[in-house]
Amino acid sequence: MTKNITLSRRGFMAATAALAAPAIISSKALASSGELNFTGWAGYDKLKAEVFPAFEAATGIKVNFTELPDQDTMFAQAKVALQSGGIDMIEPTIDRVGAWNENGLLGAFDPAKLAMDNYLPGLADGAAGKRSADANGALLYVPSNWGTEALVVNTAGAKLSSPASLGDLFSADNQVVLRPHSALAAMGRYLDAQGKLPFPWLDGYSDMAKMTQLWDIALAEAIKAKGNVVQFWSGENEANAGFTANGATVGLCWDSTGFNLRNDGYSYVAPAEGAFAWHQGFVMMKNAVNIDQAHELAKWVSTADGAAMWATAFSSNPVGKGSAEKLNPDVAAYYSGTFNDEALSKLWWWPDQSAEFIAKRGEYADKYKAA
Amino acid sequence: MGDLLKRYGGTLTGAFVLLTAFWLLMLIILPNLALFETSFRPYLPVAEMGGPRDVYSADNYVKFFESPGPMSVFGFEIAVPLRAQTFLYTVFYSVVVTVVAFAFSYPIAFYLAKVVSPKSVPTLILLLFIPLWVSEALRAFAWYIILTLNGPLNAALVGLGIMEKAVRWQQGVFTNYDAIVIGLVYNYILFMLFPIYNAMSSLDTNQIEAAQDLGAPWWKTHLRIVLPHSKPGIASGSVMVFMLAAGSLLVPTTLGSTRSNWFTQTIQQAMLESQDWNTGAAYSFLYLLLCTVVVFGVMRLFKVRLSDIAR
Repeated sequence: MTKNITLSRRGFMAATAALAAPAIISSKALASSGELNFTGWAGYDKLKAEVFPAFEAATGIKVNFTELPDQDTMFAQAKVALQSGGIDMIEPTIDRVGAWNENGLLGAFDPAKLAMDNYLPGLADGAAGKRSADANGALLYVPSNWGTEALVVNTAGAKLSSPASLGDLFSADNQVVLRPHSALAAMGRYLDAQGKLPFPWLDGYSDMAKMTQLWDIALAEAIKAKGNVVQFWSGENEANAGFTANGATVGLCWDSTGFNLRNDGYSYVAPAEGAFAWHQGFVMMKNAVNIDQAHELAKWVSTADGAAMWATAFSSNPVGKGSAEKLNPDVAAYYSGTFNDEALSKLWWWPDQSAEFIAKRGEYADKYKAA
Repeated sequence: MGDLLKRYGGTLTGAFVLLTAFWLLMLIILPNLALFETSFRPYLPVAEMGGPRDVYSADNYVKFFESPGPMSVFGFEIAVPLRAQTFLYTVFYSVVVTVVAFAFSYPIAFYLAKVVSPKSVPTLILLLFIPLWVSEALRAFAWYIILTLNGPLNAALVGLGIMEKAVRWQQGVFTNYDAIVIGLVYNYILFMLFPIYNAMSSLDTNQIEAAQDLGAPWWKTHLRIVLPHSKPGIASGSVMVFMLAAGSLLVPTTLGSTRSNWFTQTIQQAMLESQDWNTGAAYSFLYLLLCTVVVFGVMRLFKVRLSDIAR
């Protein structure tokens, strides 16, 4: 399997090298057709400094990069661009795709022009695949990088069930670090896996009446187990200090927290229920002009090299098969220590959360904190 | 105005007026007006802004009084809306901070103003100021480290054999808000100390001596002479410390226990986590209003006028 991928990657690289050679000779000739107007996230300097030059060297396509600070702004710009043009491709998170499509902004990708087999299992197929397509099955979104929230575990002190479960966060044997709203979702998913909920936990994300019922149950159960919480976190620092200064043994934290603590006797473990995960990726504007170039960038970011570079720029995880080895070896070892193919396929992608949902979620978090 | 013109001439006076106007208008009035306007509009997706659902209403303010939960007040369990609970706790513990800060400041201020030789005062004030040179974030974080389980306080107490087992100080020994109160007092105590010191300095020492000559015990001298004279200082110090404590976000976030919640955290949650600026703006305004009511209520209670504070 691995061999095959390596081969296809080499083949791809050879092909791109062949493409790149004339591009160097006659870049002007290509410039008119070899452009892509890409709108993405501001603040990730490596994109401009390293990633786009590498992409241009590989394909001859010049990326005109517009940096925007957040997704609301991207959405507003996309609405303008629907009239005025000027944007081919944008990089939102997957939970926004539905709303973007409802506003008539998105065009469909042609899977034949991409390499859908390049993606790691669970990222572009399964539940994520379903969310990437519209009602008719047209592909609206392909992933570019992703991250997780799972168990950070003190290897000496934590009492884990076998296999490790989200329930370990609520066991009196452990001292835990949590962030309130994730903790309630973890409790909900744990109860769901135990078959103790009246309907699936996921239903709460689309139906507000069910949401209050489900979250009431999760809140009551979580409050019962609140005695073992030693620290709430909202950012990286607090999460880290919860372990080092406040002596927590288990926590539900970002992958970066586990990475920073990896040499201090902590490991990052995907629970049996599946790690929480988010991903962002590419969508194409309905009135995109440089359609082939857009496909080319999306495809390049699914290759081992492209995916690794893109993930490094965002300090997150790559989407392409074989790209883990292309990362910094330290990161690669950490990453493959947590996610084998099974853990990957079990990833639980944060569902779409409406504004109403998030406000209500905050209320539950406050009740949990105050209890 | 005429005075100002005579003293500084047209150019400088113009600059003064323009800069003050800029400060007031651009940095205070306009942002607050924008916030005020925002607070009456519903939180809508970008696509629906300016659409038929984008109408003014007081809905965001009503949220403050929604979702009641149990709260124990002097041993009685009553149902109080969640946000109101947070508000009441915040105000209560801000008052505690103010009282504790006063209890520390009064003797120090008296010592500085009336006891110690005037020559040493600059040195002492410098010593008091030094902690302020460190940023507020670092000071809060330093207290976090001191109070944590693996922190120096526990290490010292256990190491010296005073305690057998390390204690989670941050979770609170008396209340859930202990660590926050400690952090806030530490951060804002000088805002109490210096106004009181200022007020006390203007007291004629002869008055104290006269009281003592006439046989007043020390506590009566303080109660009848020093305290009344320092009232403006105490009032302005209290207002400052209370408002700073109630408005602090950093200290409660850093030092809060797993059971504490400060109202500023609620506002931050609405603004950043929920991205619901409209509700966040409504909470902010309500908070400003309610805190102002508390401050004026207390001033009335202690018969302090606004002009006393401005002195």
